[in-house]
Amino acid sequence: MALAAPEPETFWKPSVEELASRPIVIEVDHLDWSFGARQVLFDVTMKVHEGEIMVIMGGSGSGKTTLLRHLVGLMPPAPGKVKLLGQDIGKLKALEKLELRRKIGVAFQFGALFSSMSVAENVKLPLRELAHLDEKTMDIMARLKLEVVNMSGFGGLMPAELSGGMVKRASIARAIVMDPKLVFLDEPSSGLDPIVSSALDDLILRLREAMGISVVVVTHDVESAFKIGDRITVLDRGHILACERPEQIRVNPNERVQNLIHRRSEHVEVDPEEYLRRLAGD
Amino acid sequence: MAAVLKFFDAIGRRTAKGFDEWGFGASLLAESVIWVFIGRFYRQPVRFSHTFAEMMRFGVAALPIAMLLAATIGLMLAIQSLYSLGLFGAQNFAYIGIALSVTREFSPLIMGILIAGRSGSAIAARLATMTINQEVDALQVMGINPVRFLVAPMLIALVVMLPCLAMMANLVSIGSAALYVSASLEKSLGSYIYDTLQILKTDDVWHGIIKSSFFGLLIGLIGVMNGASVTGGAEGVGRVTTRSVVQAITAIVISDMVIGYLSTH
Repeated sequence: MALAAPEPETFWKPSVEELASRPIVIEVDHLDWSFGARQVLFDVTMKVHEGEIMVIMGGSGSGKTTLLRHLVGLMPPAPGKVKLLGQDIGKLKALEKLELRRKIGVAFQFGALFSSMSVAENVKLPLRELAHLDEKTMDIMARLKLEVVNMSGFGGLMPAELSGGMVKRASIARAIVMDPKLVFLDEPSSGLDPIVSSALDDLILRLREAMGISVVVVTHDVESAFKIGDRITVLDRGHILACERPEQIRVNPNERVQNLIHRRSEHVEVDPEEYLRRLAGD
Repeated sequence: MAAVLKFFDAIGRRTAKGFDEWGFGASLLAESVIWVFIGRFYRQPVRFSHTFAEMMRFGVAALPIAMLLAATIGLMLAIQSLYSLGLFGAQNFAYIGIALSVTREFSPLIMGILIAGRSGSAIAARLATMTINQEVDALQVMGINPVRFLVAPMLIALVVMLPCLAMMANLVSIGSAALYVSASLEKSLGSYIYDTLQILKTDDVWHGIIKSSFFGLLIGLIGVMNGASVTGGAEGVGRVTTRSVVQAITAIVISDMVIGYLSTH
C-alpha cells in the first residue's frame, strides 16, 4: 500500500496591482558603493512595497550582502539614497537611526545569536533593552515568537546546542519579537538540507500572511527565491539585471539571468599574463 | 632611494594608523561617558546588572590570583629591602621603602599587568569573536548601541575594580612584608604596622588608586579597540588578543613612569 504524499501548504500571494497600490517601505535610489578601488554596487535602484516579499538573488560576490548592509543601515549610502519607512537613513542622526531600527528585524546568515545567552534570552534581548516590559510579559512574548518559528520548548538551550536550521529559526524569532514592519533575512536557506530549507520558506510565507510584514530575502537559492518571492531582483557583479515577478524572471531574455537560474557557470577566458601581473600586484 | 622612500612610507602609514586607533579609543571613551549620563533619557540606560556582572568577572573572580601575587610581591620586597638595607645596617627602615613602593608603585602596576593579561585579553577576544560572528552588527540593527551595551559596562567595571584590587593588594603586600620583616628583625608586628601607618600619607594611597583607575581605563580601551578592529576569522582573534595584552602592558608601564615622574616633580 503506497503512502499518500502530504498536500503542500499553499500560501496567498498578492497580485501585481495590489502590491503596486500599497505604500513603498524601502526605496533605494542610485546607490553606488566601492571597497577601495573595487566598485561592488553600480547605480542600484529598487523599491519594496508594504507586505511584499522581495528576494535579492545573485551569485557569490554579486554584491547581495553589501546591498543588504546598506538596507539595514550598517553602511552609509553614499553616493545614493536609501529610504526605510519613508526616512532617508543617510540623513538620520545616530539616535534617530536607533529609533528607526526598532521597526526592523534582521536575521543574519549565521544567526548571530549571542553565544553567552540561551535561545529565550536571545529572543528577549530586544524586549529587555528597548521595550522595558516586566519579566513575565517578556517571557510570554518570547515564548509566542518561538512557537511561531516552531521552536517552543527549545528556549532553554544555548545556541551551541542548536542545529543549523534551529539557529536560523531562533534568529528569525529574535528578528520578529518587536513586531517589526520590515524583516531582512540574509541567506536563510544556506547550509540547510532541502527539507529544512523548504520548511523555512514556508515559515517566511506564513509570517508574511500572519503579520503583514514586508520581507527582504537575500539568497542564492533559486528554488527558494521562486517559491517565496513576490518579486525577484537579480544582482550580478553589482548591477541589477532584472527586478520582476518570478514568472517573468523565468522567461527573462538576459543570458546572465538564465545562467543564474539554471545554475550554468559562465565561461571565462583567463589571460595568463594578466593573471600573473595581478598576482604580482602590478 | 626607493628603499628609503618605502621606509618613510611605512613609518608614515604606521603613524597614521596609530593616530587613527587612538582617535577611535578617544571616541569610544567619549561615547561611553555620554551614554552613562544621557542613556536613561533616550531609553538606553547603561545597565547596572551588566556593569555588576563585569565587575564580578574582572574584579572578584581575579581576587585569588591577585592576592597571591600581592603576598608574593610583599615578601619579595621585604627580602630585598632587608638584604640591601642590611649592607648599611639600616634594616630597621625597611618599612619605609616597602610601604611607599607598595602603595605608590607595586600594587597599581602589578594589578594592572595582571588584569591586562587576564581581562584585557578576554575583552579583546570576546569583542573580536562577537564582531566576526556578526553579533555586534546584530546589536546595531536591533537598535541597541554596542558602546552602551558592551563597552560602557566594561570600562566602568575596570575603572572601579582595578583600584579596589590595588587597595586589597596594598593590605596583603604590606601584611606579608610585615610578617617577614617583624620575624626577621624580631620586632613586634604591631610596631611594624604602627611605623608603616606613620610614614604613609593619604596622598600616597590616592596616588596608587588614581593610577590604577587610569590603568583600568587603558586596559579596557585597548581591549575594545583591538577587539573591534579584528579581521580574518579565528586567526584574527588570536592576533588581536595578543596585541591587546602587549599594548596594554606597554601602555601601563610607560604611563606609570610618566605619572611617577610628574607626581614627584
